[in-house]
Amino acid sequence: MSKAAAMPRSETGRMPAGVRTLLLRPEAPALIFLVLLAIVLAFSAEGFLDPANLEDNIARVVVLGVIALGVNQVVLSGEIDISVGSMLGLCAFAVGAVGESQGGLILPLLAGIGTGVVAGSVNGALVTLGRIPSIIVTLGMLYALRGMILVITGGRWITNIPSDTRALGLQSVAGVSVPVIILVVLLVVVELISRNSTWGRNVFAVGGNRRAARFAGLSAGRTRFLAFVLVGVLTGIAAAIYVGRAGGVQTNAGQGLELQVVAAVVVGGTSISGGRGSSVAAITGAVLIGVILNGLVLLDVPAEWQSAMLGALILLAISTDALRRRLLREQPS
Amino acid sequence: MGLTKRFGGVTAIDGVDFDLLPGEVHALVGENGAGKSTLMKIVHGLYAPDEGRLEVEGRQVTFVSSRDAEAAGVAMIPQELDLFPELSVAENLYVGRHRPRSWWGGLDWTAMRTEARRQFETLGIDIDVTLPARLLSTANRQIVLIARALMGDARAVIMDEPTSSLTEREVQRLFEVIKDLTERGVGVVYVSHRLDEVFTIADRISVLRDGLHIKTAPVSELDSEELVRLMVGRALSELFVRNPHQHGSIALELKGLSRSSEFTDIDLTIHRGEVVGLAGLIGAGRTELAQAVFGIRPVESGEIYIDGERVSFHSPQEAMNRGVVYVPEERQSQGLILPFPIYANITLSILQKIARAGFLNYDRERKTTDRFADALSIRGADVSEPISRLSGGNQQKAMIAKSLACEPSILLLDEPTRGVDVGAKSEIYRLIDQLGQDGKAILLISSELEEVLSMADRVVVMREGRITAEFDRDEATQERVMAAAAGVEEKAGAAEL
Repeated sequence: MSKAAAMPRSETGRMPAGVRTLLLRPEAPALIFLVLLAIVLAFSAEGFLDPANLEDNIARVVVLGVIALGVNQVVLSGEIDISVGSMLGLCAFAVGAVGESQGGLILPLLAGIGTGVVAGSVNGALVTLGRIPSIIVTLGMLYALRGMILVITGGRWITNIPSDTRALGLQSVAGVSVPVIILVVLLVVVELISRNSTWGRNVFAVGGNRRAARFAGLSAGRTRFLAFVLVGVLTGIAAAIYVGRAGGVQTNAGQGLELQVVAAVVVGGTSISGGRGSSVAAITGAVLIGVILNGLVLLDVPAEWQSAMLGALILLAISTDALRRRLLREQPS
Repeated sequence: MGLTKRFGGVTAIDGVDFDLLPGEVHALVGENGAGKSTLMKIVHGLYAPDEGRLEVEGRQVTFVSSRDAEAAGVAMIPQELDLFPELSVAENLYVGRHRPRSWWGGLDWTAMRTEARRQFETLGIDIDVTLPARLLSTANRQIVLIARALMGDARAVIMDEPTSSLTEREVQRLFEVIKDLTERGVGVVYVSHRLDEVFTIADRISVLRDGLHIKTAPVSELDSEELVRLMVGRALSELFVRNPHQHGSIALELKGLSRSSEFTDIDLTIHRGEVVGLAGLIGAGRTELAQAVFGIRPVESGEIYIDGERVSFHSPQEAMNRGVVYVPEERQSQGLILPFPIYANITLSILQKIARAGFLNYDRERKTTDRFADALSIRGADVSEPISRLSGGNQQKAMIAKSLACEPSILLLDEPTRGVDVGAKSEIYRLIDQLGQDGKAILLISSELEEVLSMADRVVVMREGRITAEFDRDEATQERVMAAAAGVEEKAGAAEL
C-alpha cells in the first residue's frame, strides 16, 4: 500500500533534480508569479521602476514582511494570529510616546518591542494555557488592543516625533535604505533559527502533527507560546520602522494589516494548516502583495476596484500552487 | 485479466490475473508493497490499469471511479476506517448514496433509520443507528463499513485488512458475517497479513510478490509454511525469535494505579530483561494504562516506581528523562510527523541532546539517524526521503528507532506489529528479543494472541480496566488468555486457581 501510494511521485523523474527541488519549495509558485508580475508592470505601468516609487513602497512592504516573518512561524506551528493590526498600532504608540518624551532611538524601539512581547505573551498564554483556539484569542485581542489605543490616547494623535527616533524609517546605509537592511537581516536570522534550532524544528513538528510531537516528548505549548512572542518582538521592530516612515501615529494605525499579513504568509506558500512553509515564503508573499497594491495605483485602477483586484490576484497566485502540485504529482498537504 | 499498473518507471503490478467466483472467499496475500492494495484499487475503480481488462459477469467493464464499481456491484471496505465521526450510523450508511426523501423534498429520516436497522439485522448485529459514529468501538465501525458496502446490493466485496484493529472475538463475529455473505452468493476478496485467518476463512488463496502473480490455489493445497515461503520468496523457518532472557531487578512497578473509567487498581511489575505481554480486548484499558505511565494521561491514584524510586510524570518528556518510552499504536496520527523526512522523525525526541545551545548540527543528526536506521535495517530509503513514502513496516521500525534513540530502559510497545507484513514482523520480533537480552524492560501490548504467547515471558490480561489474570510463559495458552480477556469463566482453569 505505502509503496504504491508513494510511487506516483516518481513520474516527474524526467525533470532535472535541481529544478524539481526548486519547484518543490513552498515559495516557488509565489516567486514565479511575482517575477512575472514585476516584468509585466515594468513594461505596462509607467514609473514602476522609478527609484522614488520603489522607495515609497519599501517601508510598507518591510512593515508587512517583518510581521509576516513572525506570523509565519505561528502558522507553521498550526495556529494563526490575526491581532497584529492592532498590535502594530499599540506598539507604534509606545514608540511614538517614548520618542516624543525621551527622544533617541533605542529607548522607543525597546518600548515598542516590550509592548509587542507583552501582547504576544497574552496571545500565547491564552492559546496554550487557556486552550482557546488561536483564531478566537487573536480576534479578541484585535479588538481589545485597538480599544486600549483609544482609551490610553483618548483619541489623540502623536505628531511630534524627533528625527533620531525616526532613524529606522528614514536613513540609509551605503545607498540601501535601513528598512530593507532590517528586513534582510531579520529574514536571515529567522530562517536560520527556523531551520537550525531545536525550537524551529519543533515548530514544524507541532504544526505537522501536534499529537505525535507531544508523544515524542516535545512541549507543544512552549513551542507555540514562543511563536506568539516572536510575533510581538517583530511587530515591535516593525512599529519603529512604521513610526519612522510615517512621522506620526494615528489611532487607526495598522488597521487592516492583520489580514494582509495572513494573506502574505499563505500566498507566499506556507500551508495554512501548518507544518509546511518557509520564511522566504512569507517575505515573497509580502513583496507580492506590496507589488500588487502599487501596480494597481500606477495603472490608475479606480480606488473602489482595488480590493476586488487584490483579492482576484491573491486567488490567482494561490491557484498556481494547485497547478504546481498537479505538475509535480504532489499529494495535497 | 493480465492487469498491469505502472507509476512512472515503477511497475506496481505486472500482468496479474485474478478472478472471484460467487459465494467464495478468495484471500489475497503478500507482503506490504506486493501490490495487493494497488490491484484492489484498480478493481474498485480508484486507479485505471495501464494494461489488461476487467470483466464483471463475463462483460468487459471500465471503471472510471469507485461509483462505477459500486454500480456494477463491486464494493470495497478500505483499510482505514473512514466514517464521519459526527454523523449518525444511519447517516454514515447513506453517505454518497441516494438518500430517501420525504414528501416535501427533505430527508426522510425515518426511512433511513428503518433501512439502516434492517441492514444490521441481516448482519445479525445490534447497533444503535442513531449514535454518532465517533462513539462506536473500532469493531463496530468496521461493521458499519461492511453494512455500508452491502447497502448497494454488492455482489463482490473487497475487504482490505479488515481485522487489523479487531480482537479475536470481534474477528470471529466478522467471520460469521462473511459466511453469511457467501451463503447469499456474494464473493469476498479477503486481503490480509494474518495467515491463520486466511486459512480459517478462505476457499482459495492468491499470492502476490513484488507486483507479480505467484500462485493461486485452493486452501486445501497450501499450508502456512508453504504460503510464507511463497510470500517472502524464501523459507521463513522461525517467525518468532526467542532467546532466553536474564531477568534482573524490578525496573517498573505499578501499585494500585487507577484512572476513572479507564483502568482500576493496576498492580504490575516488569523486571530488567523481561518481556511482559499485556493481552485483552480493544477497550480493556491497556493503551490508557501505558499512556498514563508515560505521562500523557494523568494518574488519579496509585504509585509508579522506577528502579525502586517513586516517580510521577506530568509529561512524556519527564518520562523519557527517566528512560521510559512509549511507542503508540497509531503510526500516522500519534507516531510520525508525516511531512518530515525519516531522519527528522528519528531524532524528534533527542533534538535537545544532539543540539548545541539550541542549534542543530545536521551532520551529527544524520550520523545519529544512520546508526539507528542501519541497526533496524530500514530498507530501501535515503533517510532524507519523506517518511510518508516508507511502507508500513518500515514506518513502524522508524518509530521504534525514534524511541531507541532516547536510550530507554523501559519500553511500552503498543501493538508494535499492527498492519505490518510478515518480513517486518519477524524483524520487529527479533528486535524485541534483542532488547530483552540487552536487559530492557518491555511491556508488549498486543491483540494478537500468538504474538503475546510467543514473545512474552509473562502474560498479563486486562478486562474492563482491571487485571483479570496473569500467566507465566509455560502456563499461558490461547484458551486461558482468551477466557480471561473476554470474561468467560474457564472451568478447568477456575478449578486450578
